[in-house]
This record gives sequence, structure tokens and C-alpha cells, in this order.
Amino acid sequence: MKGKVILLVEDNPDDEMLTLRALRQNNIMNEVVIARDGAEAIDYLFGQGNYADAPIILPQVILLDLNLPKFNGFEVLEIIRADPRTQTLPVVILTTSNEDKDRMESYSLGANSYIQKPVDFKQFSEAIRQLGIYWLVLNQYP
Amino acid sequence: MQSKTPENNTSSFWRITSIGLLVTSIVAALLFMLTRQYVIHQAEKNIQNLMLSHRGIHQYIQRTMHPTFYGLRDRGEVPDTFYAPEIFSSSFIVRTQHRYYNEERKAAGLPELYYKMAATNPRNPVNMADPLEAKLIKYFNDHRDKKNYREIVKIDGTKYLYYAMPFLLTAERCLTCHGKREDAPLGLQALYPGEGGFNEKAGVYRAIESIRAPLEEEYTAVYIIVAALLSGFLVIQFLVFFNNRLHRKVAIRTKELEMENGERIKAEEALRQLNIELEDRVNERTIALAAANKELDSFAYSVSHDLRAPLRGIDGFSLALMEDYSDQLDNTAKDYLLRIKSGCTKMGLLIDDLLKMSRLSRGELNKEQLDLTSMAREISASYQAQHADHEIDFTIAPDMTATGDPTLVRAVLQNLIENACKFTSKKSEAKIHIGIDTTKSPRQYFIKDNGAGFNMEYADKLFTAFQRLHKATDFPGTGIGLATVQRIIHRHGGKIWAESKENAGATFFFTLTMEPQAKRTSAPNGEKNER
Repeated sequence: MKGKVILLVEDNPDDEMLTLRALRQNNIMNEVVIARDGAEAIDYLFGQGNYADAPIILPQVILLDLNLPKFNGFEVLEIIRADPRTQTLPVVILTTSNEDKDRMESYSLGANSYIQKPVDFKQFSEAIRQLGIYWLVLNQYP
Repeated sequence: MQSKTPENNTSSFWRITSIGLLVTSIVAALLFMLTRQYVIHQAEKNIQNLMLSHRGIHQYIQRTMHPTFYGLRDRGEVPDTFYAPEIFSSSFIVRTQHRYYNEERKAAGLPELYYKMAATNPRNPVNMADPLEAKLIKYFNDHRDKKNYREIVKIDGTKYLYYAMPFLLTAERCLTCHGKREDAPLGLQALYPGEGGFNEKAGVYRAIESIRAPLEEEYTAVYIIVAALLSGFLVIQFLVFFNNRLHRKVAIRTKELEMENGERIKAEEALRQLNIELEDRVNERTIALAAANKELDSFAYSVSHDLRAPLRGIDGFSLALMEDYSDQLDNTAKDYLLRIKSGCTKMGLLIDDLLKMSRLSRGELNKEQLDLTSMAREISASYQAQHADHEIDFTIAPDMTATGDPTLVRAVLQNLIENACKFTSKKSEAKIHIGIDTTKSPRQYFIKDNGAGFNMEYADKLFTAFQRLHKATDFPGTGIGLATVQRIIHRHGGKIWAESKENAGATFFFTLTMEPQAKRTSAPNGEKNER
């Protein structure tokens, strides 16, 4: 059973705060679980490490940064897509990079969406709003 | 290199010639000696034959005629007193026979042969031995194993072969006539009053026979044979000499060719080595360049992430302040925050442009045939759609083609057209002409506007990054666009320049291929991929 949880994988506390703020501003009130590196995200998804005692609540959508300590975003994505338990989870890459290379690799590893974080907060907020509407409201899950 | 100088050749020629002459002389001498010996031997055989034939007559007289005569006498059929040298004397008979023989020879056109029987104690003085003959008689008596004596003598300039044999050994029966005078037949005693021919002993040689034959013909034969053999030898020697010369020439040429070949092989080897070295160096450079490119890549990547993230924070929190605490901020504070936000926006654009420039000047050039007319139309249409408030009269030449990387060339056109748009934004009747001049080689593309233009004094700063010729408040921009354009054009081997007057518009010209003299190095159809 899926909860309405959003998993935000983000190591930059500023970006974390701004993302949360953008979510709230756009009235997305879902619970947001924050993982500050790739390993923590994996622990959360598979109920291991710090999350060994908690029941697994798979997120509705994963907002995944690429530049991460320990496992980077690509590695996390690869692990998610390799495991039958998590392979259908929607993953939105949310990154500063607008390199073609990163975009191509993200999609080829099975990302559902790729969003470059704009510098302008208004634009950023707008992007968050749209992905919230799409992934949390409109999208039909398998 | 020629190992033989002409002097060497000449000296070797004379050396060979002199050796040839020496060998020829030795061979000639040997030939002469051998031939003469052979010819003289043949002459000797002939004389010996004649001599033996004479001896046969002597034998016949002594062993057949004499006993027959004594038989007739003993039976009283001839008187006791009868004696005639023509019938009895073998020396007389053979001498006479030889005279007839010579007459026959003469008649046949042959030279006469001198014949003599010589004795130290002859009955007839014509047979008297001279000192040499006397010596020979003694010689044969002393050396019974010697059967003949021969010698070549020269008389009045003519060479003769002198051949002598001991006469028949005096036998007991011979003493009938050559013993004591009183024992000899009466007729003989009567005919020869002296003691010559008497008192001989049995078992000794009392005479020799000799023949002297001229050797003219034989020597002529020797000369002819020697000449024939020698000329044959000379011909052979000549052939051998020229064969050797030919061989030597061939050997020298072969050696020269081998050396030339060797040098060529060496040169080729050196060239190959050089090529390998060059290739190695190119590879090293390529690897180094690839590494540098990779570093640039990761640098740009870091810039893109690490410069933008804090900027986003500044921007985001400024806005948060504005939104969440606006009631606690006065207008000045709000203005400051707006300035912070504006700074963030500019820096964001700057980072984006820097990244774009870095990205466009990296990576491979994928050259292909391009339709610049369509590109220009798309770009201008897109600009017009986004800036409906700024109407521009675009003139775009048809059928403009070029060879280049589609993404990069599009970036060039986009930059230049958008630049032209930007600088005509304050004109009421903005005009932009995008065209081509095919009379130039390489062909020149141009983007001409009637906008703000610039002072040509600063034309050299146009394409330098961050250099701007206008105030940002007049015409916004990062100052990176034209630097990017120039980089792209340089990567294609082309050039870019501009002509302008302040407030009278600007024209940007560019080419996309190298100068004509270097044109061969680029693929004629432009399909070639270049790094």
C-alpha cells in the first residue's frame, strides 16, 4: 500500500528548505521524507540501516538530486530500477545540471522526468507546482 | 657512390694488358718450342726412314749379293780376279743410289738431301771423315747404346737437320775385303793400291752414315701452327678479358644498385620511424587534449552545479524574506532585496552563457551540408514570435548553404541574428538583412542591421568575452555571445569580422571554411567529420 509520501533526496540544506517551501506554497501537503545522501535514500526504500525498525512506506514520487554524497543520483536510480519492489516508483530528477549527458543518462537509467532547478525561485516554485500536480494528482499508477 | 675512378680504370686496363702480353709471350714461346720439337721430330722420322731404307740396301748387298758372288766365284763361274765397286761396294752403290734419289726429288720439286758415308780409314777418299765425323765414329764405338745423333745446323743462313747413325758393325765376313790386303780378292787389291779400307777389325763401327735435310718447310709449318694457335689463344684471351670487364662492370653496377637500394631502404626506414614518432606524438597530444577536454568538462560541470546552487539559495531566501517578512521591511530594504534578486538573475544568465560557450567549443564537429536560409528563417520567426512588440523587416537571401556542424552553426546564426534584433530594438523601422556574397572565396555570409552600431575603434574588443561596447542598461547581455560565435567559427576554420558606424547599423561577416590555398585539407563534399 502506497502512502502519499514524497521522498526528497537532497544534500544541500538550502535547496531542501527551498524545495519544502515551494511545496508548501503550492499547497502540496504530503509528508516529505528527506534523505541527505544516496545511501540514506536506499536505506529508507528498503527498510534498512536507520530505517530497519520502521515499516516501509514507499513514496508516491522520489525527487532525486544527482550530485550526492556516497551513492550519487544515477547509482540510486539504478538500484531503484533493479529491484522489483521499487522498479515502478516514479523518479523525478531534480538537479542544477542542464548537461545533455546527465539528462541522457538519467532517462536511459529509467528516470520518469528531468527538471533543472532554475536559479530564479519563482521559476523553481512553478516547476515544483507543476510536478506536484502531475505526479501527485494526475498521474495514474500501475 | 662510385668506387672506381676513371684513373683506376685506366691503370687496371694497362695492368691487365701487360699481364695479357706476358702470358701471351710465354704461351707463344711454349707453343713455338713444342711445335718445333714436334715438327723436327717428324723430319727426323722421315730421315730415319730414308736411312733405314739405305741400310736395307747395304744389308742386301752384303748379305745376299756378296755370298751369291762368292758362290759363283768358288764354282769358277766368275774369274778370281774379277772386282767391280758398282757391284761389290755397298758404299758406292748406296751413294750412287742416293744420287739418283736426289735427282728424283729434284724432279718432284723437293729439296735435295745430302748423304754421306764417312770413315776414318776409307778406301775411296770421298768417304773420308772430317773431324766431327771422326769424333762421332769414336762416340758410337764408345757408347754402344746410342743408335743415332742429331743436330740442327745453320749453313749460309739455312737451317738443316743433321742426322747420323753408326754404319753396320764390322763382321768377320767383312774382313774378306777389309782384313789384310793380301787376303783380299785380287781384283780389289788391283783396283785400290793404298792401305785405305784394309786392316780393319771385326766388332767395331768403322764408319757412320749421315743425312742433312733443310728445315725451311718445317719452320714455316711451325710458324703457321704457332700463329694459328696463338691467334686462337689471343681471341680466347680477348673474350675472357672482355667477359671479365663485363662481369666487373655488372658487379660494380650491382653493388651501386645495392647501395642505392640500401640507402633508399634506409631513407624509407627513417621516414617510417619518423612517421611512427609523429603518430606517437599525435596520439600523446590527442590523449593529453582528451584529458584536458575531460578536465574542462568536469570543471564546467562543477561550475554549473556549484555556482548555481548557492545563487539559487540567495535568490530563494531573498524572495522568502520579501514574501514572509514584507510587513517588517521598509521600502529601502525591499529595494535592496530586489537588487539582490536582480544580481542573482544576471549571474544565473552569465553562468548559463559561460556553460554554453564552454559546451559549444568542446566536443566533435559533425560537419554536414546545411541550409542556412531555413535556419535564419526559423530563428527570425521564433524571435518575432517572442517579441511581438518589436517589429523587424527581415530580408533573408534564398539558397544559402554551408558546410558545418548544425548545432554550432545554428548557435552562430542565432547569436548574430538576436544581436541584430537587440541592437535594432530602439529603431522604429528595424531592418535586418541576412545574405551571402558568393563572389568572394571562400564565400562570405553577412548579417546587416540598421541598429545602434558601434564605434570601429573598439571593433577588436567585439569578440572578447565579457567585453561590451554598450551599457547594460541600454542593451542587456552577458558579453559572451560574440566570443562564443568567434570560437565556433574558428573551429570551422573560418573568420568573423564586423563593419559599423555608431548609430548607422552594423554588418557582421563570417566565413565557414579555410582560405582557398588551404582548401585542399578539408573534404570537398564537406561530409568529413573533424575533431
